Amino acid sequence: MKNRLKVLRAERDWSQADLAERLGVSRQSVNAIEKGRYDPSLPLAFSIAEVFDLAIEEIFSRD
Amino acid sequence: MTKNPLMRRFIWTHLILSLGYVASVALASWFIPDDAEPSLTVIIFAAFPGVMVVGWIWNMGRLYLTMEDEFLRMLEVRKAMWATAIALGICGGWGLIELFASVPRLPVFFVVPIWCLGLIAGHLINRFTHGTGGGSLW
Repeated sequence: MKNRLKVLRAERDWSQADLAERLGVSRQSVNAIEKGRYDPSLPLAFSIAEVFDLAIEEIFSRD
Repeated sequence: MTKNPLMRRFIWTHLILSLGYVASVALASWFIPDDAEPSLTVIIFAAFPGVMVVGWIWNMGRLYLTMEDEFLRMLEVRKAMWATAIALGICGGWGLIELFASVPRLPVFFVVPIWCLGLIAGHLINRFTHGTGGGSLW
């Protein structure tokens, strides 16, 4: 699964630690999701969408 | 040490249980003479390290149930799975060789140390495949 997390984060000038704090997860989690090493669960994907105020499909897409 | 309170509790509990394991193994080695009869005293001494191992597994299970970070939880589960696969693979394989060939016996005692080494291997594999080993100790 691909995602636009890095771009969206950069647009808001957030570090990985900033985003991790907003999501209530570790910085390693954000890093792993950004690099495509880990696909988040549906609840976490919803949380990510809420933080960016976007729909899930605007952030995540199939390979 | 890690700032995550759950991980800190896990590490401290694990360290205490590990000290208990080493101490009870040392005590058992000291008190139980070579070629001793399997008396009740011997069995009780030998059971202490087993209780500590049960404590490790309980501590790990508690960590899995309470960790809110799903990615780190997955890494911890992967670590335990690698440790189990390595320990059972080595002991099962060597046990089969022991059945049919004259090779040195691997005492069952070593299942636990091999499993612990498997946890370290799992940590390294996680680092290679997922960029981080899991819950950091320090």
